[in-house]
Amino acid sequence: MAGEKVIIMAKNNSLTEKQKKALKLLKSRLNGRLLTHLNSCVHCGLCGESCHYYLATKNKNFIPGKKVDIVSSIYQRYHTLAGKVAPRLYGAKDFNDKTVEELIDIVFGACSMCGRCSVHCSIGVDVPYIVRTARSMLVEMELVSPGLQSTVDAAINTGNNMGIPRDEFVDTLEWLSEDLEMEVEDEDASIPLDKKGVDILYTLNPREPKFFPLSISAIAKIYYAAKENWTLSTNVYDVTNYAYFSGDDKGAKELTERLCDEMSKLEAKTLVLAECGHGYRAIRWEGPNWIERPYPFKVISVVELIGDYIRSCRIKLDPSLNKLPVTLHDPCNMVRGGGVIEVQRFVIKNAVENFIEMMPNRANNFCCGGGGGQLAMSEYAERRIKSGKIKADQIRKTGAKIVATPCHNCIDQLMELNKEYQLGVEIKTIGELVADALVLEEKSN
Amino acid sequence: MTIFHWILLAGFVICLLSCLYHFFMALPAGKDIDYATPDAKTRQAVVYSFTKAMSPKKKETAFMHLPTYTAGIFYHLGTFLSLFLVIFIFFNVSFPTWLAYSIIVFLAFTSICGLSILIKRMTSSLLKNLSNPDDYFSNILVTGFQIITAIYLLLNTGLEYYFIITTILFLYLPIGKLRHTIYFFTARLHLGIFYGRRGTWPVKK
Ligand code: SF4
Ligand code: SF4
Repeated sequence: MAGEKVIIMAKNNSLTEKQKKALKLLKSRLNGRLLTHLNSCVHCGLCGESCHYYLATKNKNFIPGKKVDIVSSIYQRYHTLAGKVAPRLYGAKDFNDKTVEELIDIVFGACSMCGRCSVHCSIGVDVPYIVRTARSMLVEMELVSPGLQSTVDAAINTGNNMGIPRDEFVDTLEWLSEDLEMEVEDEDASIPLDKKGVDILYTLNPREPKFFPLSISAIAKIYYAAKENWTLSTNVYDVTNYAYFSGDDKGAKELTERLCDEMSKLEAKTLVLAECGHGYRAIRWEGPNWIERPYPFKVISVVELIGDYIRSCRIKLDPSLNKLPVTLHDPCNMVRGGGVIEVQRFVIKNAVENFIEMMPNRANNFCCGGGGGQLAMSEYAERRIKSGKIKADQIRKTGAKIVATPCHNCIDQLMELNKEYQLGVEIKTIGELVADALVLEEKSN
Repeated sequence: MTIFHWILLAGFVICLLSCLYHFFMALPAGKDIDYATPDAKTRQAVVYSFTKAMSPKKKETAFMHLPTYTAGIFYHLGTFLSLFLVIFIFFNVSFPTWLAYSIIVFLAFTSICGLSILIKRMTSSLLKNLSNPDDYFSNILVTGFQIITAIYLLLNTGLEYYFIITTILFLYLPIGKLRHTIYFFTARLHLGIFYGRRGTWPVKK
């Protein structure tokens, strides 16, 4: 347990080797952006209402400014003259057992790195960036929450975060491929595996083959309708990158490199990411920085691809096939942190009869509470469900019967919220909604 | 020039050089390189970051806290005005009476705004939990600076005290929380670049 490890650290001012490593990492990360955000907070305290943790718990330590403060206070203490000379005056804190314990609780247990507070901050402090930096410091100290760490380890050691053996994965896909053939009544329909020279290499969230195979079927049906030249890799298919959440840049880099290698091995042109909020952000936006070079291929979300299919009439949808009112949950990392904001609305409006916006939405949306790796950290589960009340209230207010979201992580959290707060809704991916509205061409002869 | 003029001048030069140092260290450079192919133009987003994104209509920290936000805006206006007046007072430029009285009334109001923010910090449990001595001291220093500017304009006496307080302000500005004078701009810049590349600000269609 993280807590036990904290206890064996040296007392107060004498830094242990691990603490020194963490401070060294902080120093190595001090670029213009980090320096700026560590020095900007004015302690105005006006950001509480922007954070679902504070709103749901009213815990004074959960306001975003307080989260910035704990990291900033360590920075002040060791990296500024003022903090070294007069720590009390500037609230600079020693990096001791107590601070480390506080840091773990705040950055892992009370922040989903959703970034909502940054949009609303009086100054513009990038809170999730600071929180991730603190998580990286805790990586150096081997103090990452065990559940989150084991998810990262599984991805690195087995190739997917759920540790699904390759045979099991291939079996599932073959079975889904046969299903697709039957559903569309076309013996040429299939889920291509490890095909070379394709236009699209599609990735999956390992939760799909494990628990939600129908979302794979939905996308396969869309690809079939669009006559797409695509494939799935049976070796490297995981769209998630929990090392982004844990703050482990080395792990994140390793997972990104594997995707790049697979793209070149299969000679694919575009990497299409399954519906996964953090996966989109990690691969599309953070990945090139971990591998320190731009990708030689294009990366898009499958939602963007579906948008293109609709615009170019490669698929035809009948919204009357989705009659129930639908609302949309915006995954933070894909929307605020990823810039995919309007296309999912365009797709849903083409696929359903009655679309109701949740309020607030887009870059102002509230996190469902499942981001930041929270779903993998069982020790904070109670807090996660409590903080999700804000999202549950938003959903209830829409009166919708279906909540669509392009993120499997969010789906897991929304399913729990559905049960806990008795929302009586169905949770779906965008792909599932589109597949339900698909009008397939009659096959000539 | 009296000795106080020289002290003030020295304080100002130290302040300026320190601020420039902070500013250039905080600008995007070197390790800030972003290898991800941008989705939109960042220049537009940086402009958005400094303009529309700062509008009280867009910010919960503004529209959900209108009295504090308004007090903060006036308090900052008072500070900028007082800083601007340093030049005139330093060179002993006098104002027409009506203008001097208008400034005095305005600074009295902005000082009250500053004091109200200080009182809020001292009484709200949420703010007390977030604050450190520097937050209180910075407020007292800046409010004191506005008050002494107004007093000097009103009585035209006590120039030495005015110069001493202003020098302390200049020397303290780059060290404590007041350094947000610089970091505010770089924070908006970095945030604009961040959201701009990704097409979040302004929303990519
Ligand atoms: S990033 Fe999200 S969870 Fe973290 S402090 Fe900000 S609003 Fe709260
Ligand atoms: S709104 Fe921004 S500046 Fe104010 S306390 Fe929150 S993080 Fe700090």
